[in-house]
Amino acid sequence: MKKIEILKIDSLNRAPLIIEGYLFEGSDPDAPSVAIVGAMEGKTIIPLYTASKLVDFLKNGIDDSSKILGNILVIPSINHYALNINERFWPLDKTDINMMFPGYDQGETTQRIAKKVFDALEGYTHGIILKTRNDLSTCMPYIKLFQSGYEDLKDAKKFGFRIIHHKELKPTDTVSLQYNWQLWGTKAYSIICPNVNHVNTATSNEVLEGVINFLSKKKIIKYKLLSGYQSTIIRKPDIEIIKTPKSGIFIPTKKIGAYVAKDEMIGKIVHSLEGEVVHRIFAPCNGLIACHYKNALIFENAVAFRVVKSG
Amino acid sequence: MQTTEIFSSQLPVGEILSIKRTRFEPTKKKEGAKRISIVTGIHGDELEGQYVIYLLAKWLQENQNSIHGIIDLYPAVNALGVDSITRGFPIYEVDLNRAFPGGKHEFLPGQLVHALSLDVQGSDIAIDIHSSNIFLREIPQIRINKEFSPTTLRLAKQLNCDFIWIHDAVTVLEATFSHTMNSLGTKTLVVEMGVGMRLTKEYGVQLLNGILNLMKKEKIIITDEKFEARKPFSSEVGDVFYLNSPTSGLFVPELDHCAVIKKGEKIGTIVNPLDGKVLHTLYAPNGGILFTLREYPIVYEGSLIARIFGNNNEKN
Repeated sequence: MKKIEILKIDSLNRAPLIIEGYLFEGSDPDAPSVAIVGAMEGKTIIPLYTASKLVDFLKNGIDDSSKILGNILVIPSINHYALNINERFWPLDKTDINMMFPGYDQGETTQRIAKKVFDALEGYTHGIILKTRNDLSTCMPYIKLFQSGYEDLKDAKKFGFRIIHHKELKPTDTVSLQYNWQLWGTKAYSIICPNVNHVNTATSNEVLEGVINFLSKKKIIKYKLLSGYQSTIIRKPDIEIIKTPKSGIFIPTKKIGAYVAKDEMIGKIVHSLEGEVVHRIFAPCNGLIACHYKNALIFENAVAFRVVKSG
Repeated sequence: MQTTEIFSSQLPVGEILSIKRTRFEPTKKKEGAKRISIVTGIHGDELEGQYVIYLLAKWLQENQNSIHGIIDLYPAVNALGVDSITRGFPIYEVDLNRAFPGGKHEFLPGQLVHALSLDVQGSDIAIDIHSSNIFLREIPQIRINKEFSPTTLRLAKQLNCDFIWIHDAVTVLEATFSHTMNSLGTKTLVVEMGVGMRLTKEYGVQLLNGILNLMKKEKIIITDEKFEARKPFSSEVGDVFYLNSPTSGLFVPELDHCAVIKKGEKIGTIVNPLDGKVLHTLYAPNGGILFTLREYPIVYEGSLIARIFGNNNEKN
């Protein structure tokens, strides 16, 4: 394993930001290669935790280094500055690094960061981005692939997550790492992780196992692991969005990942000053709860649940 | 004059989020009269537009007989952001100007911008007033997407601004208010002026004159009062030169914003207060008008320091 410096930026009042990658060189020059990007933003922990545990797994969990067949680069964090002070984006100007790709070496700070990171990521056959949802919801781990014309849905199933969200491309997605990485010839996948600020070992390990499954099935590593799910590809019509007509204190009564029946109560809203239940949320269809609002205080008309329809 | 709520949402704890629009229109409807919408506060840390809208509302109140068309004023689109010094939509941390056109089934910021788009739709003209951000000070300028310049450039020249910047189409900017409204048939102009979190009174008065001038030309107001429309310089006849910080530190400007400068002139220094050393001296990469200058002194490598409009032989 080699530790490589991807970029260094000085700061007037903080220690320099040094972004490092952990490079595991493969034993088979013909094997595919992969780069894994962890935390691009702060405030959430699973992308960072998963990437760091992957470094540990590759370093200490594989008994024979020759079982690493293809080159593997892991960058656990790009945004230490945000993580260390619980900011979501780049702390000075609040820009999102994942809206700066492919980057620009003469541009603003986060464009320069994106450019140096992108240079380091170029040339890998596969790319994995560990992310959380952009909205205020948390979810079960799933793969997000843009409908860009470059996506590889077949390989996305090799992670073994329950769902693959084949998502329509929006204008703002054209500056994301996934889209640009694909444009430059890398088969890139985003793993959308639970949007939480604590480590729940079971769910966190699910993400790590998904990555290891993929590495194993793509013959980037030689390692036997129990297979995951046969993933289901879902698109917009497969998802039922459930909004709350009332604001207040949101209490989900069904967990993410649970199957629910039509008309079953899945959550409630409590009046924040008077304590009474002002609204009960019922499942509008049979299906699987894939996401729900992550905060206790919920806005009126906010999306409370996303249910993947079944039946 | 009538104030209407265009979007509301009951917040979790005893408060209603309410986005308001005030409409000025003639007491008797005029056939063929045009409608203009003035929008500001899409970014919560930009307040220059609030002052312009205040001045405009005051003028309209005092000159009600001059009103011939419909004038809609939207002073605080991101009302929660404006009152909490937050650029994006609070909690969601979403830039509303990357969330258009939104939709009624989207998250709350998407619902809000959707409501705004629907309400402005049908206007003949829209003006979206921004104040750069807290980092940069800008001279009053209009930003126009090249795709829509055949219809919007003529209007931009009436707005009494100093600079018209016609930029190439960029996919990510399709999620802005101006692109959305232009696509829906409303000729929409973006004004950038001043600096975030502050008011620049002279710029407010300058733009007020421009808006009144435009409204007079478009017969939205009919008045004998004369309004100035200075001739702007345009990016069609020159280039924009960028100066980004080569290092991190404290930026100390040497020049005034809006100065006419020569190539190689000293713009400022990057210094380190800890040891009293100058880390870097910054010089103009080209001659021209210093139309953007850094206001917030802390910089990282890459932070934008200045933009200069000029041409390669510095005749501009």
